Amino acid sequence: MLKLENIEKFYRSGLQKSWVLKDVSVNVEQGEFVTIMGPSGSGKTTLLNIIGMLDESNSGSYHFLDEAVHTFKERRRTDIHKHYIGFVFQAYHLIDELTVYENIETPLLYRNVKSKDRKAIVADILDRFNMVAKKDLFPSQLSGGQQQLVGVARAIIGKPKLLLADEPTGNLHTKQGEMIMELFKSLHDDGMTIIQVTHSEKNAQYGTRILQLMDGFVRADEQVSQQTTIVS
Amino acid sequence: MFYNYIKIAFRSLMKQRGLTAINILGLSIGLACFCMFTLYAIHEFSFDKFHKDADQLYRVYRWTEDLDGEGVEGDTHLPMPLGTSFASDFPDVEQMVRWKSAWGESFVRVNDRVSRIEVSHVDQPFFEMFNFPIIYGDSEQPLSDPKNVVLTEEIAFQLFGEENPTGKTIEIQFEENFESFTISAVAKNIPTNSSRSFQILGSMDYFASTTYGKRRMNSWNSSFLGVFVKLRKGSGLATNAAELLKFRRKYYPNQEAEIREAGFWDGEGAPVTYKMQPITQMHTEASMPGGDVPSINPRNIWTLLLIAAGVLLIAIINFTTLSIGRSAGRAKEVGVRKVMGSTRMHLAIQFLTEAILLSILSTIVALVLVSVLLPYFNQLSDRSLAFSFSQFPQLGWIVVCLTIITGLLAGSYPALLLSRFRPTQVFRNSIKLGGSNMFTKTLVTSQFVLSSGLVIATLVVLSQINFMQSKNPGFEKENIIIVDAEETDSREIYPRFKKLLSSIPEIKQVAASEIGLGEGNGYSRSGFEYMGSIKQIYEYYVDDDYLTLMNIPLLAGRGFEVERQDGANRSVIVNESMLTDFGWTLSDAVGQVLTGYSNEGNDPVVIGVVKDFHYRPFRELVKPQMFHQFEDYTPFKYFVKINAGDPTQALSKLEQSWTSIVPDYPFKYSFLDDDLNRFYRSEKRFSSIISWAGGISIFLACLGLMGLAALTAVNRRKEIGIRKVLGDDVFGIVGLLSKDFIKLVLIALVIASPLSWYLMNNWLESFAYRISFQWWIFVVAGIGAILIAFITISVQSIKAALINPIESLRNE
Ligand SMILES: Nc1ncnc2c1ncn2[C@@H]1O[C@H](COP(=O)(O)OP(=O)(O)O)[C@@H](O)[C@H]1O
Ligand SMILES: [Mg+2]
Repeated sequence: MLKLENIEKFYRSGLQKSWVLKDVSVNVEQGEFVTIMGPSGSGKTTLLNIIGMLDESNSGSYHFLDEAVHTFKERRRTDIHKHYIGFVFQAYHLIDELTVYENIETPLLYRNVKSKDRKAIVADILDRFNMVAKKDLFPSQLSGGQQQLVGVARAIIGKPKLLLADEPTGNLHTKQGEMIMELFKSLHDDGMTIIQVTHSEKNAQYGTRILQLMDGFVRADEQVSQQTTIVS
Repeated sequence: MFYNYIKIAFRSLMKQRGLTAINILGLSIGLACFCMFTLYAIHEFSFDKFHKDADQLYRVYRWTEDLDGEGVEGDTHLPMPLGTSFASDFPDVEQMVRWKSAWGESFVRVNDRVSRIEVSHVDQPFFEMFNFPIIYGDSEQPLSDPKNVVLTEEIAFQLFGEENPTGKTIEIQFEENFESFTISAVAKNIPTNSSRSFQILGSMDYFASTTYGKRRMNSWNSSFLGVFVKLRKGSGLATNAAELLKFRRKYYPNQEAEIREAGFWDGEGAPVTYKMQPITQMHTEASMPGGDVPSINPRNIWTLLLIAAGVLLIAIINFTTLSIGRSAGRAKEVGVRKVMGSTRMHLAIQFLTEAILLSILSTIVALVLVSVLLPYFNQLSDRSLAFSFSQFPQLGWIVVCLTIITGLLAGSYPALLLSRFRPTQVFRNSIKLGGSNMFTKTLVTSQFVLSSGLVIATLVVLSQINFMQSKNPGFEKENIIIVDAEETDSREIYPRFKKLLSSIPEIKQVAASEIGLGEGNGYSRSGFEYMGSIKQIYEYYVDDDYLTLMNIPLLAGRGFEVERQDGANRSVIVNESMLTDFGWTLSDAVGQVLTGYSNEGNDPVVIGVVKDFHYRPFRELVKPQMFHQFEDYTPFKYFVKINAGDPTQALSKLEQSWTSIVPDYPFKYSFLDDDLNRFYRSEKRFSSIISWAGGISIFLACLGLMGLAALTAVNRRKEIGIRKVLGDDVFGIVGLLSKDFIKLVLIALVIASPLSWYLMNNWLESFAYRISFQWWIFVVAGIGAILIAFITISVQSIKAALINPIESLRNE
């Protein structure tokens, strides 16, 4: 589904370059559930942003569904966002001025979905996430777990092929975190490709594959065995 | 989608009520100002356009080239036969109306009650040519009978109350006698945007039958009435200089040769000809000295509009800077939306929608403000404007466009800025804004350049006015009452009145003059050839007590005391400027003869010299001037000097004496210093308008500053918290937050001072006597601006400084 080759990323501070990603090559197939792990500052978010086309690498090539992303114009990148990628953030990043319903609905607005269809789709997902009663509340009236639920609902409402999640449970209690991970698992079971960043070994076990990022390189890339999942 | 934009716009406006209120308040004040000034401008430019075929209507005027250094001159006062000849000589003239405006007020008697009302005379087709609708009576030809008159609604109400007066009789005094006239119609009140107006309209045929009229009916040498014509559609006569000159030459066949022979004119072409002015330009062509209607220089209208636009701009800048300041708070939303597939375009439209929504709300508030403030604005502008979409339909789309443009101007930079945010930056919190980027600084500085510039201009104008009103004009102006005896048999009344007053203790002295001093009193000037050069001399016909009453010092010779006995008219007293002009000196002036002044050979002799005094406004240099004794002239204005202090006693005694001598005529008076101060009415109007504009713009600029200070305090909350933990006190923090803003105000002052001084110096140039460079103005304006700005900012900064640091640090 996506193919990163020799990705390099650095930031300039003054005359100095500080390298974040030195040489990263990764292949992700459709239907995988990949977990990126690594110490703080190792470039996990940076990598995820590059995959999500929010950021660009300084060199290397990136193909998404066999299209060369590094040659895209802003327009095309926005298009891909719209139609193929959903994001979930550690800090939820809901829009404070919008209700739960409106937050979830927003991506559909940018996809020019008709009003009637929008209603049906949002109602569906509210139902599925058990949030119908909360649809008219504002984010500040929800618990963190509920906010993240809305964040996930919003991310998947446009039926993306790829779901990117940057420490989705980082701000949550264990219990709420588990709920989100269960949700991811069921999404994955339905065929969605997921890439998540997490610090938690336990969360990583929900996935199918773990990438260890360190000093700008992928230090380890291993499949998660079914056994381990069951054991944990 | 659009509905969604509006919804979000509403919510985010509601979320920050304080800032929204500041924005709406500021914008609506700016818009209200601009609306009123626009209304004023529309009104000024709409003058005389309400006539049916306004584009075919012209007035004829005489054009005189620069004959004797007096400058070119247009004069719309023309002789009586000219109109009729003009109409019969040019087939293009479809209709012609001569319009003799009133010379002051006439006495009008209804049921034994006498009032003073202006009476004008016009030719018959008046109501066909001009669009002054008749509401009662004969609407076709109300002036077909010479003894008919037409009243305006207002005058009809004044004389007859609510009832319809058509068919009734009124008496008007002409040449000492009251004559009866029949009211044939009542016309609707004259629209405020008509250059010419009337109160009572009589027939030109009647005027021609008076002794005065008879003498001038066929005279080409007495110019006193206006000639209006309606040209055939598509006629080129108005610009056909050759035809018009031919007409002039036909009726003044020898004049050109005479002028050339006398050496007044040796230029190419004709020295005198006729021209035609479209009546739609009567109001805005200020270059017509003999225009007979108050006109306005379009430059002044544009200046006012520019000032109003400046005020609006300040309000718009508020919106922009506050939005930028707020953008840090909106950044997250932008990031999230982008991640969810929003394009920059979507975001830009969303933020513009917000700005336009705000400007729509502000427009609504502004319209309310306008309806409340318009009466005051009318006082300022000396107009009676109504914000009426039916009178000026163009106001509708102007308001709509204004709203949209304001929204776009205010919202486009913030929209551009916000929509440019990149999600990765936003989420890393690396967006640093908060009213401190270069753009915001520039905007805030320019706000203060504009507003402090206006304040400086106001101070300059005020001190010039104060200078002119308090400068000694060279004569006594306090405690002098002018009694108006025009239209009375004043030659007979004056001595009796003077005698009666001499026994009243409150009254010190009485003198008389043919014309008063000050605004609206006109002047008389005569030109003659003295020793081969043309002289223009201002003349005042006064009695022998005038100079002493007015305290005008004699420098040489004597006053008119002797002439009182022998009644001779050959003596004149001249001023110093006339000495210089004529090449005399103080020692040889007395006894000089003004050769060439009179044709009969009895030229005046100088008997005295007075110090220059300012009989004209301080705008003008003192020009050569002289005093005469009476002969043919009538003492129309009585100068009564009263004791200093409360004038009521003296006034009531004056009135008693007046009514005991002339019971039929209303007592009319004014104070000399008021008359003189009215010279400066237009300057005062200008000063009140710009001082309001200045005050409002300072207020708006500070409003913006207040918002920015509040935002800065919010954006720097964490920093403030840390500083407090480290031991900084309230003063330190207020200083920290104010420093940057005060610096901007200072920069603004440095820019505004020379700029406004330069502009105001241009304005001052038009005054012959003016204030010199006033450094205190800049100090006052500067200290004022800084103080106001500082107070505004402090309120916000103190609030921020007092917050418990734990509060502000916890959130991060
Ligand atoms: N826009 C940026 N400018 C400068 N440095 C950055 C920027 N974005 C990230 N970095 C740096 O890159 C490194 C990796 O950041 P990040 O990808 O967020 O790490 P992680 O998510 O693994 O904790 C960090 O040292 C961070 O400071
Ligand atoms: Mg990270």
